[in-house]
Amino acid sequence: MSSEAAAAPPRPLAKRILGETPSAWVFVAPAAVIIVGLAIVPIGWSLVLSFRASDLLSPGHSVGFANYDALLDDPDLRSAVGHTLVFTGLFVPLSIVFGLLLAIALNRPIRLIGFYRTAILLPFIASTAVQGVLFSYIFDERFGVANAVLDKLGIARQGFLGDPDQALLVIVLIALWGGVGFSVIIYLAALQDVPRDLVDAARVDGAKRLGVLRHVVLPQLMPVTVFLVIWQTLLSLQLFDLVYATTRGGPLDSTVVVVYYVYKQAFVLFNAGYAAAVAYVVAAFLIALACLQILYRRLSARHA
Amino acid sequence: MASRARVLMTVVALAATALIAVSCGGDDDDGGSGGKAKLTFWHGQTEMWADCLATQIAEFNRTHKNIEVSSDTGGVVADRMLQKVTAGLQAGNYPDVAYVFGSDLANFAKSDKLVDLTDSDKIDIDAFYPAGRDAATVDGRVRAVPALIDNLAIVYNRKLFKEAGVDFPNDDWTWDDFRATAKQLTDDARGIVGTGWPGTGDEDTTWRIWPLVWQLGGDILSEDGDTVGFDGASGEGALSYVRDLSADGSVYIDTSAGSERMNQLFQSNKMAMIATGPWNLPDFVDAKVDYGVALLPAFQGEHTTIAGPDVWAIFDNGENRAKAAEEFVGWLTSAEQNLTCATQAGSLPTREDVTKLDGYQDYVNSLPGLTKFVDNLQNAQVRPTIAEYPQISQAMGKAIGLMLFQKAEPADALQDAVDKSNAALRVPGP
Repeated sequence: MSSEAAAAPPRPLAKRILGETPSAWVFVAPAAVIIVGLAIVPIGWSLVLSFRASDLLSPGHSVGFANYDALLDDPDLRSAVGHTLVFTGLFVPLSIVFGLLLAIALNRPIRLIGFYRTAILLPFIASTAVQGVLFSYIFDERFGVANAVLDKLGIARQGFLGDPDQALLVIVLIALWGGVGFSVIIYLAALQDVPRDLVDAARVDGAKRLGVLRHVVLPQLMPVTVFLVIWQTLLSLQLFDLVYATTRGGPLDSTVVVVYYVYKQAFVLFNAGYAAAVAYVVAAFLIALACLQILYRRLSARHA
Repeated sequence: MASRARVLMTVVALAATALIAVSCGGDDDDGGSGGKAKLTFWHGQTEMWADCLATQIAEFNRTHKNIEVSSDTGGVVADRMLQKVTAGLQAGNYPDVAYVFGSDLANFAKSDKLVDLTDSDKIDIDAFYPAGRDAATVDGRVRAVPALIDNLAIVYNRKLFKEAGVDFPNDDWTWDDFRATAKQLTDDARGIVGTGWPGTGDEDTTWRIWPLVWQLGGDILSEDGDTVGFDGASGEGALSYVRDLSADGSVYIDTSAGSERMNQLFQSNKMAMIATGPWNLPDFVDAKVDYGVALLPAFQGEHTTIAGPDVWAIFDNGENRAKAAEEFVGWLTSAEQNLTCATQAGSLPTREDVTKLDGYQDYVNSLPGLTKFVDNLQNAQVRPTIAEYPQISQAMGKAIGLMLFQKAEPADALQDAVDKSNAALRVPGP
C-alpha cells in the first residue's frame, strides 16, 4: 500500500499519448486533418504510384524503377525541361529587375502614389486563368489588339501565341505582367527598411543618387533579392496554369513545360505512373532549391 | 485582447471541424433499400442544352418517386470530363452518370466501376443507330449508352459567299474545290479567312483528318488491329492536303485552348467555311449568321465523314444506385426524351424510332441545315473504341500541327506518327 503511494503516480494513458495539454489537439486537429489529407497522403501515394504502371483506372502493377529509367531518355520530356528552363531563365531575372525599378519609382512621395501602387499590384491579384483568357485575346494572331497596334506602327504582324517560335516568349510576357507585382511589394517593403541615416550619411559624404543606390541601397536589399530569386524560380519551375489557359502546350508542343507534361501524361495519355515519376524528379529539384534558400539564411545569420 | 483572440480561434477551429464533418459525412447516402436513391449526374453541358436537361431532370424526379437525380452538375464541362472523372474514380468520389466522349470510353472501360450494360433490362442498345452502338461497345460489351450522335460537315457563311461572288458548295464538290473556294474567300484586308483548323495538337486537331484518310482508302487501324492503317498513301495524301491548304494562307490555325476561337470567328462573319457538327447550329442561329450546310468534300465520289458519338456512362456506387442510374439513363435516352432536347443540343436523333414521332418534322425544321446532317449520318464512320486511341491521336495531332505550320514534309511527319502509334499498339494491355 505505502509503496504504491510513494511511487510517482503513473501518468494516465491519454496524457501520455496526447501530451500535457490534450485540449490543444482540438485546435490542431482541423488543420492537421486538412494538411495530412490534402498534402501528405497524396505525396505518399504518388511516390507509390511512381513505381507502378498505372492508368488510375485499372489496378496496375509494380514496375520497380522502370518509370525513372524511362524518363532519362524521353525526348519529349527533355524538350519540356528545356522550355521550363527558358521560361525560368527569362522570367526570374526580368521579374526581379522590373520589380526593383518599379519599386524604386514607387518609393517616393509623389501625388496619387497610392493609386500607382494599387495599379501595379492589381495584375498580381487577378487569377491566372483570367490573365490567360485576357491575353489570348490580346495576342490573337488575326484579331488581337497587339497586331492592330503593330499595324498602326507599320511593323509586320506577328504570330504571337499562334507561332511556335514566339508562343513561349509571349507566355513569359504574360507571366511578367502578372508576376512583377509580387517583386514590387517585397522590394517596396525592403526599401522602407533601408535606414534613413545610412542614406543621409552617404549623401553628406558626397554620394550622387546612383552611388547611393549602388553602394547603400542595393547591398541592403541583398537578402530580399536572394529570397525573390528562389521564390520566383520555385514558381517558374511549377508553371502550369498559364499554359493550360492559353495554349494547352501548343502550337507544336512549343509551350509544353514540365508540369504540363506531367498533366498530359497522367490525364490525357493515362500514364499516371510515369507522370508521378517525373513529378517526383521535379519535386526533388524544388526541395533542393528550397534547401539552398535555408542554407543561405543560416550562413548570412552566422555572418551577421 | 488575448482572450478575444482565443475566442476567435475557438470559433475558427469549431467552424473548421464543422466543415469537415459536413464535407465528409454529407453524401455517403447510397440509398439503402427502400430509401430514395440519390443520383449525381455530371452532364457536362452548358447553356441551352443544360437548361433543357434541367427541365428533364425535374420531370424525371416528378415521375419517379423513388429516385432523385441531383440538379448539381459538379461544375464539370464536357471538355474536362475525362480528367474530373478519372480523378474522381481515384478518390472514390465519382458521379453515377457522366457524359463521356466516345474516344475516351475504352479507357474508362478498364475500370470495374464502369457498369457493364450488356444484360441490362433498362437499356435496349439495339434501338440505337449503328454509329452510336459501336461507340458504346468496348470489346463486345455494352459499356455505355449513346448520348449524342453527330458528324462533321461544312457549314458556310452565305453572306460572305455572296459578297465574294462565289457559288455555294454543292453535294458533288471535291477537296480541290474546297481548297480553291477557301483561297477565293480569304480576304486579308477585310480580316476574312477561308476556313480554320484547330492547332493545339489534341483530339480536336486529329479527328478532322480521319475522313480524308478514309476517303483515300486508309483506316485508323489495320484489318488485324495490330498496327495502324493510315501508313502509306492515305496518310500521306491527307497530310499533304492539309499542308497545301495551309500554305495557301486560307486557314486560320486556332491555337486557343478548346478551339473556341474558330467558332467565334465564324459567328462574327470573319470565317467563310468551318468543318463542324450540328451542335454548333444553335449558336450560329443565336448569332444570326446566314449559313448553309454542305457535305464534306470528296477525293473521288465518296463523301465519307466522321461521327463522334458521345455516351452516357454509368458508374457503380452500390447496386441500388447503379440500378436507379440505369433506369434514369434508359428514360433519358428514350425516343421521346431524345427529341425533347434535340433542338437545344443541336443533336441528331440517336435512334430510328425518333424519326417516327409526331414532333420530328418540327425539330428538323427548327434549325436550318439540320436535314443535311441527318442525311450525312449515312456517310459517317466512327473511331475504334480502343484504349490506345489517345496515343494515336496524340501522334497524328503532332503530324497535323507540323503540316499546318509547314514545319515538315508529309512523309516524314507521317512516318513519325505511324511509328509512335504502332509502338503504343504493341504495348500489351493490363
